Amino acid sequence: DEILRSLAGPPSPPGQDPHGWRVPVDCVRANELCAAEPSCSSRYRTLRQCLAGRDRNTMLANKECQAALEVLQESPLYDCRCKRGMKKELQCLQIYWSIHLGLTEGEEFYEASPYEPVTSRLSDIFRLASIFSGMDPAANSKSNHCLDAAKACNLNDNCKRLRSGYISTCSKEISATEHCSRRKCHKALRQFFDRVPSEYTYRLLFCSCKDQACAERRRQTIVPSCSYEDKEKPNCLDLRNTCRTDHLCRSRLADFHTNCQASLQSLTSCPGDNYQACLGSYAGLIGFDMTPNYVDASTTSITISPWCSCKGSGNMEEECEKFLRDFTENPCLRNAIQAFGNGTDVNLSPKNPSPPVTLPPKTEKSPALPDDINDSNTMYDTSVITTCTSVQEHGPKLNKSKEQSLCYSETQLTTDIMPDQKTFVDQKAGGSRHWAGRILPVVPTLLLKLVL
Amino acid sequence: SRRKRARARHKPCALKELEVSVSELGLGYESDETVLFRYCSGTCEAAVRSYDLSLKSMRSRRRIKKEKVRARPCCRPLAYDDDVSFLDAYNRYYTINELSAKECGCV
Repeated sequence: DEILRSLAGPPSPPGQDPHGWRVPVDCVRANELCAAEPSCSSRYRTLRQCLAGRDRNTMLANKECQAALEVLQESPLYDCRCKRGMKKELQCLQIYWSIHLGLTEGEEFYEASPYEPVTSRLSDIFRLASIFSGMDPAANSKSNHCLDAAKACNLNDNCKRLRSGYISTCSKEISATEHCSRRKCHKALRQFFDRVPSEYTYRLLFCSCKDQACAERRRQTIVPSCSYEDKEKPNCLDLRNTCRTDHLCRSRLADFHTNCQASLQSLTSCPGDNYQACLGSYAGLIGFDMTPNYVDASTTSITISPWCSCKGSGNMEEECEKFLRDFTENPCLRNAIQAFGNGTDVNLSPKNPSPPVTLPPKTEKSPALPDDINDSNTMYDTSVITTCTSVQEHGPKLNKSKEQSLCYSETQLTTDIMPDQKTFVDQKAGGSRHWAGRILPVVPTLLLKLVL
Repeated sequence: SRRKRARARHKPCALKELEVSVSELGLGYESDETVLFRYCSGTCEAAVRSYDLSLKSMRSRRRIKKEKVRARPCCRPLAYDDDVSFLDAYNRYYTINELSAKECGCV
């Protein structure tokens, strides 16, 4: 108790907010708090020495080690988490695993994510995606969303620079024997996904395709010949072990398992119906040993896998298949990718309505919306059409009334919105540079168009 | 409106940009990918130096006869943009450097 109170920083009067110190801090900060407290820092030092080069059982056989672990479980170090792309991310993760490897068996199938949970739904990205897919004049015939995504990236200086950065690194031949530097390629890919806003990176990675040229472009996004494929396909469990020796890879994999694990409780099959979190942890795996990718250029079925197989699993075959299925046959991941491609996020939980969106004052001309469509992304564009179809695709999981109301709104909105849509397309043909070059101004323009 | 057009043609040297497909660049690549092409455009009247005036004078006095000289500053890139990478129609990646201007000046 003495330790706990001292770790809490300035002593607070007894009884006031007894758990206040439990507010999660990042592990770098927790480490600083611990270092400022002699008894915590000495236990932490002991524990690190215990863990160094020893397995968990050997460590726990030592009484001193056991005591150190028990004390540290009550310190802020135990609850601490890290943020993706934070300063000192690696240091933070090293601290996290130094405690948690001592706490778990170390051989668990799923590990808890060391990253802070993604709480915001960030539906903005989905809304943007829906505007892109909905407003394209040729959306229903021969448009290539992956090509559009490349265009959007090329017209943004930051995205263009970092995309060209990884493409040139990943396609640079080193010598006759060495096709490319995989290490440098992975590093450049990580920089791209860390530093470019996800409205660009997700569009490139998860664009929806109707033909093979598009799907092949999507598969090529990460330059798989260098970043993904290898001479041999290792066994997936071996690959997992390699990944787990690296703190960053281990953390990203744990994060993927936390956010993309298929769940039977939710309608979308995703934990907390949070597509964003799943897509984010998927993208977070790119540039590590466990880099996933589309296995082929199929337009009808999306199959994702890391570069591994279950050959040579011995008596671990079942575990290997289970591990691989979380990529290849994962309904959460597949739904999330398809929903992003179609520009449809879900808002299925009435308990947590999405925050109100600032809308221009409604006029008589703006389309009447059924009350139950409160997710902003279905409001003011033609993507409502895709919302309807995609809901029908997931049909069996949704109840009938929801399905009907969404489809009803399709016909209503399509007829209501048509004249306005036409004006927008005309304007776009005249000055395409203006809306395609800069993404954010599109939204106000679009809103204005509908109001006028 | 004629005056307006005239003024537009005599804009000082500056960076301008155009959205073009990679195929349109005429470099032999086949790709529908769109890139931003920035170029230098405009006049350099304000940048005429004694050098240019004197060179002109030498030429008119036939002191310089057969050589090719340029007695006017010229609007050109002072720096080029970073590399541009793209995927071509045969799913191969290419990187072009010094494709696009970054900064323009009268030189």
